Amino acid sequence: MSAETTKVGIISCSGEAIPEGTISRLATRRVLELLRPDATVTLCLPLFLAGNEAERNFAKTHPTVTIDGCDKQCARWGTEQHSGPVSATLVVSDLLGTVASGCRRSSRGTAQTVEKEAVWAVAERIASEVDRALADTAPRGAEGAVTSAAQCACSSPVPGGNLTIRGSTVSIPGLPLIFEQCAARSIPADESGAAAVLDAVKIYHCIVQEEEPEYQIALLAAYQDFMRNKP
Amino acid sequence: MKNESNEKPVLVIPCSGIGKVHGLISREATYLVTDELAPGRTDTLCLALLVKGDAEAVAAVRDHACLTIDGCPKACAQKNVEMAGGRAAQAIQVAEAFKKHRGAKPGNATSLTDDGWAIAREVAAAVAGEAARLHGSEEATS
Repeated sequence: MSAETTKVGIISCSGEAIPEGTISRLATRRVLELLRPDATVTLCLPLFLAGNEAERNFAKTHPTVTIDGCDKQCARWGTEQHSGPVSATLVVSDLLGTVASGCRRSSRGTAQTVEKEAVWAVAERIASEVDRALADTAPRGAEGAVTSAAQCACSSPVPGGNLTIRGSTVSIPGLPLIFEQCAARSIPADESGAAAVLDAVKIYHCIVQEEEPEYQIALLAAYQDFMRNKP
Repeated sequence: MKNESNEKPVLVIPCSGIGKVHGLISREATYLVTDELAPGRTDTLCLALLVKGDAEAVAAVRDHACLTIDGCPKACAQKNVEMAGGRAAQAIQVAEAFKKHRGAKPGNATSLTDDGWAIAREVAAAVAGEAARLHGSEEATS
């Protein structure tokens, strides 16, 4: 596997019948969009049966992490059976215990705190496994070769946001999602919230210290635009 | 006299699509049917269980009327139900529903906008109607 093509595949069970399936799916999306956008791809699990040869070869061409809702481990089983061995497996019910019983399957209405925390906890574990898989696979110095945005194996890149820093355009994957998170935390879109917005973005993106003041100004302006256009 | 099959819920099976908004719409449309529009009369199951060949899930799709909701023309839900030996009484494609909503901005694979929820509700209404029809036809033959 060449360094230029090394991305970690994440296969989620997406179990429709249980809340843990929804958590698996949302945590996977969070890793794809926010936590490791340049290093991950996904594929719909049922495509292993319904898809073509290229889709069945997914785990042969990517180090793959499976995330299952319950101990039936359909994602792990399906991937190993139809595509190839996986690098790591996670099971939401093992990670969260009974926490998921307080979560819903549907995303209708406003997400409850317990649901948000469950998704974040699982997403962070997936991201750790992605890092481990990359470390095991990619040769040293290959990090820069992974450049394109997060994407599903069958979809377009996740939209990000652009900032102008020192005259150059800087792309931040998943910026609208980070802003949504800021808005949910009631961070004000004025000077008093600027540092908090910067801190939120720094969780997901490396910003060198000497550029922080410029990022803070640019991010605040972008956050204000986001809040103005928010439905 | 009540036919035993009348008591069996119609299984509404969405596609599990995770890469596009279409998959999320199929999933949320399913929950609208099973939780709001036709609770008791309908139920869902994990499509991944069919991928795995889980005996209970395979038996369920063979023994219940099934309605599938697929996000894209790859039709994973319909195909996996058929591969398991079941039959989709109706196979709905979310992409078809989009044709009536040109220019709509439905959201993304993670969350739906108002446009997205409107499409999901439209799909759900069609599925609930078909589920009612299936129950009705079973009652008529009992």
